[in-house]
Amino acid sequence: MPDFTDLTPISTWREIAASAEDRTALEPGLGRTMLVQAHLIRAFEEKVLELAGQGLVHGPAHSAIGQEGGAVGSALALRPSDQVNGSHRAHHQFLAKALAYVAPDGIDPEAGFDETIRSLSKRTLSEILGLAEGFCKGRGGSMHLRWSEAGNLGTNAIVGGGVPMAAGAAWAHRRAGKGDVVYTYFGDGAVNIGSVLETMNIAAAWKLPICFFIENNRYAVSTHVEECTAEPRLSSRGQAFGIPAFKVDGMDTLSVYLAAQEANAIMRTGRGPTIIEADVYRYFHQNGALPGSAFGYRSKEEEAEWRGRDPLDRLGADLQDRQIIGSQAIEDLRANCTGLMDEIAGELVETVDGQRRIVPALWPEENFRDFGLRGDLSEFEGARFEEEASFSGKLKKDVKFIDVVSRVMARRMSEDDRIVVLGEDVHRLKGGTNGATRGLSEEFPDRVLGTPISENAFTGLAGGMAADGRVRPVIEFMYPDFMWVAADQVFNQIGKARHMFGGDSAMPLVLRTKIAMGTGYGSQHSMDPAGIFATAPGWRIVAPSTPFDYVGLMNSALRCEDPVLVLEHVDLYASKGRAPVEDLDYCIPLGKARLVREGRRATILTYLGMVETTRAAVERLGMDAEVIDLRSLDRAGLDWKTVEASIRKTGNVMIVEQGASGTSYGAWLADELQRRCFDWLDQPIKRVTGSEASPSISKVLEAAACARPQDVEAGLRELMSDQGLKLAAE
Amino acid sequence: MPTEVVLPSLSAGMEDAIIARWLKAEGDDVAPGEVLAEIETDKATMELEAETAGRLGRLLCQSGERAAVGEAIALVLAGDEDPSALDAEAPKPAPEPEADRNEVAASPVSEQPAPSRRKAASPLARRVAAEWGVALDGLPGSGPAGRVVRVDVERARDAAEPADAAAEVDPPAAPKASRVPEARDPAIPAGIGAHDAIPHSGMRRTIARRLHEAKTTIPHFYLEADCDIAALLEMRGRVNEGRDRAERISVNDLVVKAAALALRKVPRANAVWTEDATLQLRSVDISIAVATEDGLVTPILREADRKGLGTISAEVKELAARAREGRLRPEEYQGGGFSISNLGMYGVKSFAAIVNPPQSCILAVGAAETRPVGRDGEIVLAPVMSCTLSVDHRSVDGALGAEWLAAFKAAIQNPMTLLL
Repeated sequence: MPDFTDLTPISTWREIAASAEDRTALEPGLGRTMLVQAHLIRAFEEKVLELAGQGLVHGPAHSAIGQEGGAVGSALALRPSDQVNGSHRAHHQFLAKALAYVAPDGIDPEAGFDETIRSLSKRTLSEILGLAEGFCKGRGGSMHLRWSEAGNLGTNAIVGGGVPMAAGAAWAHRRAGKGDVVYTYFGDGAVNIGSVLETMNIAAAWKLPICFFIENNRYAVSTHVEECTAEPRLSSRGQAFGIPAFKVDGMDTLSVYLAAQEANAIMRTGRGPTIIEADVYRYFHQNGALPGSAFGYRSKEEEAEWRGRDPLDRLGADLQDRQIIGSQAIEDLRANCTGLMDEIAGELVETVDGQRRIVPALWPEENFRDFGLRGDLSEFEGARFEEEASFSGKLKKDVKFIDVVSRVMARRMSEDDRIVVLGEDVHRLKGGTNGATRGLSEEFPDRVLGTPISENAFTGLAGGMAADGRVRPVIEFMYPDFMWVAADQVFNQIGKARHMFGGDSAMPLVLRTKIAMGTGYGSQHSMDPAGIFATAPGWRIVAPSTPFDYVGLMNSALRCEDPVLVLEHVDLYASKGRAPVEDLDYCIPLGKARLVREGRRATILTYLGMVETTRAAVERLGMDAEVIDLRSLDRAGLDWKTVEASIRKTGNVMIVEQGASGTSYGAWLADELQRRCFDWLDQPIKRVTGSEASPSISKVLEAAACARPQDVEAGLRELMSDQGLKLAAE
Repeated sequence: MPTEVVLPSLSAGMEDAIIARWLKAEGDDVAPGEVLAEIETDKATMELEAETAGRLGRLLCQSGERAAVGEAIALVLAGDEDPSALDAEAPKPAPEPEADRNEVAASPVSEQPAPSRRKAASPLARRVAAEWGVALDGLPGSGPAGRVVRVDVERARDAAEPADAAAEVDPPAAPKASRVPEARDPAIPAGIGAHDAIPHSGMRRTIARRLHEAKTTIPHFYLEADCDIAALLEMRGRVNEGRDRAERISVNDLVVKAAALALRKVPRANAVWTEDATLQLRSVDISIAVATEDGLVTPILREADRKGLGTISAEVKELAARAREGRLRPEEYQGGGFSISNLGMYGVKSFAAIVNPPQSCILAVGAAETRPVGRDGEIVLAPVMSCTLSVDHRSVDGALGAEWLAAFKAAIQNPMTLLL
């Protein structure tokens, strides 16, 4: 029989409940504010359900009725400078944090509501109804509520999706050193998703002041927590990551408040994250005004039992016991709250011919649809732009591309201490796996973060940093294909945040990744991500093909208030070119292509590693063709003027890219071009791409799967013969 | 089902061709790569290879007949296919309009009968056709599957520009026109009496079109120079000492070399006129006029300035021989920046050639003959060769042409430079 030694987790896991003394010690003003908040939220949520029942809430209305205690108890333990975010069910948390912000000295339950509370309620309801007056101008609705001024970072419709971003805000707080914390609220359903567990791990490793606040309401839609996990006491997760965890009765607002205070004491003193699991219950189904029992997944008895422990009643009783408030005052408070909600709803909804409808003037204008998909680039006012052809500074020949990559980053980091680099192994191996971050960790040890292999978490964390604004993160994906691993954060969160939250919030984030076709890393490491990123309008994409352009485009990416994908290529890393000797501060506009070679008979559009391949092929064949290095690849950044002028001149166009045809970049570009230039085209838009399949490991198969010089040549030949011309100029 | 053998586009701009000769007969087995027929285009005779294996089932176009690019000219049966399959296939061209009529009849909602076959033309071709007033109907297409592309409209426009009279004379491009025109053809001038009609070959049509266009649209001017070639002939004699007759350097070879050196010295004469720009060519590629039975052909001696006399001589001989056999490849006669036409061997004293568009200059070389010339203050008899440079004034001005001619004359009269 082997010897066994019992091991114990390094972190604590405790249930916490208010004692009799705690109830006696509750400061009356705080208790009364808790009661007002809970009643306001209850009345608000009832109004939402009422409007939903009338068909006036477009989309789901995830009611938090029954769960007020967790939100109010925790939010009142926060400072105005602390922050929260949440999930699809977050009206209560949003309101609790916002109420605490607008009324930092508490709210008197026996006085009427002032304009700030009325306005807060109305703007929140407007947002949920999708109206222009809402916090996100009607874009976000019920599931995307953001009011950054009040510390509401934005709620999320992807289960667990907001959790990594909260950690990014927490990183900014830790760095600022003021003791501020972030609460990320999510439900029992989100505990089992990767982004939450990854974030718990990274937050603990980096000691981030973030509270993972689990509202365990027992049901992920209709699936019971015990069906989902063998350990339904969800705060147990803390032990896996070394996070101190608390379990608390969420129906008891005071206990939640005390748990939050305990957690805050840990977080505000640099001891890392915490977990609070609050047992709560939603009285209704996932959304809408029917109880869960109506759908057969739980019993009326169970619902009655939980309703018997209603947080509002509990709070009222506690306060009445101590004669802090009377029963009539509570009734009046209830009436005041419902009255307020009737009043604000009355201003948003009208009855015409017996039909209830939204007051038409309150809808957003249709032309607001795409506003704020990306920023207006006003941050480039005063920027100095340079081009290699006209550069007056000193240039050196034969500079290795890869050296420029780290040099420009070092330069920017020394000038701008907001810049933080993070990714796998970026801090080791003399500059990561390719030397792209060489020297940075020595010079800026606190700002070069080697991450766990958790692309989803560290990408979202960077998104949270960027949204916070005090940090300008630069993420590295060791291989572009990892974007699929981090896809939710890349596309649903970072790419959509600005637009979804109303169009005003910045997301200054840079994502670097290297295309590695040709290195034998096979199907899962060899994609060109440009085509996929081009489908996400929030992203800008740049693809520098020369060291000089890399400097200018990276500087622009770091200056930009939008997320920018900076594409690199292993073949270019090893290449040499002319680079500035001293001046590493110029920009190249996001939106300007580079004319590599002029010609009259055809326009060849290409980027990154294929620029030189294409130019060389055109020269070899003696073609009279124009080669354009697109440089900026996203829809907004594409230099349509240059491209269209060239096509009008030549009448023939071919798009050359290296990667697999399925995720091709050229597909959307060809589509756009045929619409813009139809009457100038002498033949269908031609494209050179890699094969249908992803490149394989086998050297021969990999080479055959990527567009090669001979493939480009074949394309060029066809491009000429299909316009009835021979190859060389006539 | 039998496979169609379709007349492919064998050179850029090829619109149609004559099936010069079938090398396989109906019933012969064919294999991929085997030569089926010789195809005569404007400029050359090319071989048409089989793409599929099988048996040549039926010839749809006989030797000597003209076919359009994309037209089926034969049917190939698969190895085990019964010849009866040919009959199912044969009437294919005919039923198309009928099928269309049926379609129209069957769909009463259709407001107007659809054209029998949509003419594929690129958007750009349509746009420029509208702009220039060129009808797309009947225009041959150089693009894939006969799509009309910009270059086709350009050619049609350029062809239409000369005098209307020409258009009257030009018979409409009737498909597969009979080789001998009918006696009552109104195009035949009255009162010419008995005659033999020699049908135009593709080459003849092209020569006619291009030279007509050149002479009527290019503002020509002419510069003449007499070259004393005593030293040149003397040097030639020495160079040819001991050479086989077949390998001897001709006066024409020396003229080519001298022209190449002059073009190197005066590169602006090596120019091609286009609507937007004058293209000054970097390579000295000289077109050399070769008379063939069917007409004038101009094979190109590439990079003539970089070649020695021996190479020039051998290449010119070889190109001329293949030109006479009609076996030049398209790249051997397309392009060039300058032309030389030498009629000296016919005893012509001097003549003025028509510029070979889009080039800007052509040098016409006459015979070397003994004439009195002034030398060191005395009149002596010396061999003299008269040369006339015809110039397109749009791209090359008089002074520039003169500069070139002076450079040429200097090279001819100081022939040692030709050996360098």
